[in-house]
Amino acid sequence: MLDGLRIVEFAEGVAGPLAGLRLSELGADVVKVERSSGDYMRGAYPTAPGGTDGAAFIDLNRGKRSVALSESPAAAAALLQPLVERAGVLITDQQDDALSVLGLAGIIAASERGESRLIHISISPWGRRGPLSSRKGSELTAQAMTGYTRYLGVQGEPARRLGADVASVGTGTFAVQAVLAALYSRARTGKGQRVDLSLCNSLLAMKSIHLAAQSNPDKYEGPRVGGAYYPPELGWKTKDEPVFMAFGGSVGPTGRAGWVDFVKEVGLEKLLEDPRCDKNGRISTGHGAHVHELREVYEEAFTNYSGEQLADLIRKHRGNASVYQRVDRTLTHPQTEALAIVCEAETNGQVRKFRRFPTRFGRLQLKTLARPPGLGEHTHEIAKEVGIAAHELAALKGSGENAGDDA
Amino acid sequence: MSDARHASSPVTGATNDRAPLAGLKVLDVSIMAAGPWTAALLGMLGADVIKVEPPAGDGTRWALPIQNGMGTNFMAMNVNKKDITLDLKSDEGRAHALTLARGADIVVQNFRAGVMERLGLGYEVMRETNPRLVYCSISGFGESGPLRHAGCSDPIMQAFSGFARLNGAPGEALDAFRFTGFIDLSTAAVAVESILAALIDRERTGCGQEVRVSMLEASLEMQSTRVAEWLLGGELMRPNGSAAAAFAPDRAYPSLDREIFVSVCRESEWRAFCRALDMPCLADDPRFATNPLRVRNRAELDGIVEPVVAQRPAIWWLRVFGRNDIACGLAHDFETFRYHQQIVENDMVAPIATPWGEVVVGGVPWHFSETPCAVTPPPRPDEHTAEILATASADAKTAEEVGSDA
Repeated sequence: MLDGLRIVEFAEGVAGPLAGLRLSELGADVVKVERSSGDYMRGAYPTAPGGTDGAAFIDLNRGKRSVALSESPAAAAALLQPLVERAGVLITDQQDDALSVLGLAGIIAASERGESRLIHISISPWGRRGPLSSRKGSELTAQAMTGYTRYLGVQGEPARRLGADVASVGTGTFAVQAVLAALYSRARTGKGQRVDLSLCNSLLAMKSIHLAAQSNPDKYEGPRVGGAYYPPELGWKTKDEPVFMAFGGSVGPTGRAGWVDFVKEVGLEKLLEDPRCDKNGRISTGHGAHVHELREVYEEAFTNYSGEQLADLIRKHRGNASVYQRVDRTLTHPQTEALAIVCEAETNGQVRKFRRFPTRFGRLQLKTLARPPGLGEHTHEIAKEVGIAAHELAALKGSGENAGDDA
Repeated sequence: MSDARHASSPVTGATNDRAPLAGLKVLDVSIMAAGPWTAALLGMLGADVIKVEPPAGDGTRWALPIQNGMGTNFMAMNVNKKDITLDLKSDEGRAHALTLARGADIVVQNFRAGVMERLGLGYEVMRETNPRLVYCSISGFGESGPLRHAGCSDPIMQAFSGFARLNGAPGEALDAFRFTGFIDLSTAAVAVESILAALIDRERTGCGQEVRVSMLEASLEMQSTRVAEWLLGGELMRPNGSAAAAFAPDRAYPSLDREIFVSVCRESEWRAFCRALDMPCLADDPRFATNPLRVRNRAELDGIVEPVVAQRPAIWWLRVFGRNDIACGLAHDFETFRYHQQIVENDMVAPIATPWGEVVVGGVPWHFSETPCAVTPPPRPDEHTAEILATASADAKTAEEVGSDA
């Protein structure tokens, strides 16, 4: 779908490379530019068997070609400049002054003013302006800055992170949106532009519900204001695995029926007369106001059921429920398999498993990509494409650095 | 961005014809969070969005907390929209919805699988009158498979997808994220990404298409790196406090007063970290020579680092890690980050004037230099019903006249 679009991805870690991956699945040709030390994700734990690159790096960089820059800024600029000049999109997580050192100052300034067709996606941890704009950042420090760590664990005890890389993946997803929206606009105006994104900004955008809740509420009620001070949410205990469950549905002020029949079936008739319960179950299940007081009452009845049995029973009575699964089980659950979320691809006799682009399109064909590039594997090939002959590249390289080998 | 934007006066409503999707029309037939925020993001990108509420109302109007009679969730999830009430179960409501869909570029819906078809508003019906339509269906578990009809919500999907079992103290089974709604908003982010891809495809082919997004796939997208570690590396992340799965040291350390969050991802940063601790020899310790070794030998590493960090206050570590160009920071809450110069200067939160008073919502996640986007206040429920139906019937009439002239 994006066939013919050349993207230069001069970014490491998760956010920029994820954006590059999704856009290449949509058909773009992504050239990954790495410094001679390589994308630091190559060193992430764990490494894939039989190689030295991190498993996450492999997934994030499938289907890309890699160019390694010389350590000499002049030589690096001689390759990077023509590469970016021929590209439709530049995705980078580098500071502007670092790009200027590599000869891109004029190119990115023209893009920002809409004077060229280049779309420049600039990703930073903390945003383009402000006192922290040149500071390093990370997934964890972004989660902490935006108050995410407050909603795990126990107030006053050691902090916990979200195990998912939400700041980085969120930013990668917003970056894909930015590229596509800028392409849509460029098709009308002929102009490229610059788009700034940051890990911190992405997490706050995705926190809109909680920001609004804490603005000026009439009363200090509900999980969106009090959640940080609640006990850890560990689910309802059953005979085996914990479950999460909620009754009442999502339409209207009172919600959906079903809870009354459910409590009768599990032998909790006493709750029908309990003033801490409403007849649709909203305030005594899910994140209702009286959940913490009534959890043990429910759990006493739930010891007769396995987690899966209980979840089925709750669904039968029009409530929502799920066992707390580990992701390995999620990936092999019949539901996940029915959606064909995990697929396999073979390169060089090696079969690898991947998770597909997270959407089912009616028409749009996605590219299946399997193989990540070695560091600088395509340096010569790309140099040739942008009009630099092999002997010129060799002269630019100077001595002793790895520009890869495409032999 | 002018400095006036940074003043305390909240933003009031106005259409933004400079934004990238200016001129596109979105019909938002969704409630709660995942669908509504999808349409809200499209609105921030400049599209004209009409939210269709059922007569009973979107449940977020009553979700706690309430501000001056309106649920704050409703306000946050329905920025950049107009609001109309339609009973899609009635012939009249259905007819109005079809009229609006005929003039729309994008439909967003998040009913349970099969409901829109039963209402006569499924993709196949809408495509007949509007082949250029991008029709986005958002579901919990997807539209095929044994759980396709199962109800879903953020905490349900945190449980099902494995998201909650990545969190917790070492040795714990799980710790669900009590900040609810995150999976909904992640789903919206994936939905917008996909809708925009379908729009670009329409530019090339002239045809719209159906786009199906699920909370399941969005939650797995959020776990991208952890899923890859499992599928390609055979390692499953277990709850480990604040420590990263992929890097070490990358966690919060208790200092003399409060926790300092610090991340070392690059080899150069490891040497810098050892310098910052005033322990340059540690960098040469073979147990910690590479990141995979540091992750494997994390307990020994922390046994060395923890007592050192504990001797000085967090402010010292901010200075010394900062001087050594290492990612570090403190934990904040709403009241400390909302006025933080970094957040304010980058418009990361947006104060808006609503009919229920001022609220602060998330700022736009993208800052376009040539097609700037902005957050505008949410509508009152039913506020634009008369206006929208009058415009729609006038448009339909014009279309008929044009048709008969041809």
